[in-house]
Amino acid sequence: MNKITEGHTVKRFDEEMLFLHRLVLQIGSLAQDQLRRAIQTLNDKDPTAARGVISRDQALNDLDVQADEAFINLIIKRQPMAKDLREIITISKAVSDLERVGDEARKIAQLTIQIYDTDNSPPNKQVLRDINTMAAFVGDMLEISLTAFDELDAPKALDVIRLDSELEEEYRSALRRLTTFVIEDARTIGHMVDVVLGLRALERIGGHAKNIAGYVLFLITGSDVRHKSLERIEGQII
Amino acid sequence: MQTLIKQQSTIGAADRRTVGRVTVENPRIRCRNVHVYYGEKRAINGVTLDIGRNEVIAMIGPSGCGKSTFLRCLNRMNDAIDGCRVTGDILLDGQDIYDKRLDVVPLRAQVGIVFQKPNPFPKSIYENVAYGPRIHGLTSTRSELDEVVELSLQKAGLWDEVKDRLNQPGTGLSGGQQQRLCIARTIAVGPEVILMDEPCSALDPIATARVEALIDELREHYSIVIVTHSMQQAARLSQRTAYFHLGDLIEVGMTNQIFTNPRHRLTEDYITGRFG
Repeated sequence: MNKITEGHTVKRFDEEMLFLHRLVLQIGSLAQDQLRRAIQTLNDKDPTAARGVISRDQALNDLDVQADEAFINLIIKRQPMAKDLREIITISKAVSDLERVGDEARKIAQLTIQIYDTDNSPPNKQVLRDINTMAAFVGDMLEISLTAFDELDAPKALDVIRLDSELEEEYRSALRRLTTFVIEDARTIGHMVDVVLGLRALERIGGHAKNIAGYVLFLITGSDVRHKSLERIEGQII
Repeated sequence: MQTLIKQQSTIGAADRRTVGRVTVENPRIRCRNVHVYYGEKRAINGVTLDIGRNEVIAMIGPSGCGKSTFLRCLNRMNDAIDGCRVTGDILLDGQDIYDKRLDVVPLRAQVGIVFQKPNPFPKSIYENVAYGPRIHGLTSTRSELDEVVELSLQKAGLWDEVKDRLNQPGTGLSGGQQQRLCIARTIAVGPEVILMDEPCSALDPIATARVEALIDELREHYSIVIVTHSMQQAARLSQRTAYFHLGDLIEVGMTNQIFTNPRHRLTEDYITGRFG
């Protein structure tokens, strides 16, 4: 239990905050799992499992709705202030981002179906290699951002924001490599659009992890770091 | 209270130093190093704070923190309490209000006060409002007095509800109407500052909303200092908020900042319901 969810004179308030805090971690864990499974379906060339990932997205949507109800009720009952208010705002925004991570994972599962269910000539391993690299990268970003949220750890949240810059570079490099493949072998062009959409989905997941890290910094410091350069954020936080 | 005493014992002098900007440009009231004693007991401990023009400033804090005591210093209401002693400087438009030569009667017209419980005089609605201007000699003819009464009741948002029954007793009005009548009574003598000591705590939510809307409108003409136990009310009404704790002014800041990101741990603990 972190300090934000404890210490209220009304103990029920502590419990309600803790419930919401844990709900974010639960939604985060499910979103991470969806991402891992979606990538696995691509590696396993398994459209059936990919359909499982897509149908499992509903569980994430249900938790999103449950979280909405819980924090609306908490606002009605407790009218949170100061760090409680910031925690509720952070939870509300983080849940939205995590739900969208689930949507992006679903897009990757759809990529598996697109490539392996309808086509006899799937792309070669090289073309898909960047997807795996980027998936591991954004998986780490997501993990660190959720840990930063749970432990109220500003340095970890800053790490995620730093990693997002690397991710952008990685994404651009992957696009350049794909362009090279197409130039070298025009027959691969059929899957290029699908693979680019997959990379784009992963790049978006990294963006959501960065957003969550930004909310964590807002939660800890009260400063809104959105739309600010890394240098400005570091200047504000450190 | 035990919790408060325990907290106090762990708070050092540095922790009790006011956090935030206590001054404003061109203040209406300037308070410097104000101490208040009830006999030997110190109730207010060296408070320095400006009250701006056309602002609502909220005073919040747990019971016994000194917020009402401080409010009452601003128009010398504490003079009426035996054994109460005030030191430091309180200047209204540059004039020391504790100057021995100063007459407190005009001071209390300049700095009016509205209490927790509506307290209309046992007189007609008209007389409740007319009383102040009459004793202060602010009007010379009946028509002038009528005009002041109507204007004050209009400013208090009560005119339309009472214009046809001005001769009926003020005590016959609803609680919310009585409180607005008391505000009209305060306005009638042309104050510069209005002090409000939990003005809505005896009112239902609708009456509270009407009084709050009125306070918001009055800000255009007056400086308003409001003591409230409702943090939502402080957040809704005020531009600045001051947090008091056991006689110390702990933090002052823009209301948005105080309620989203207070800088002092005691302020944070209080407004998030972690003690008190």
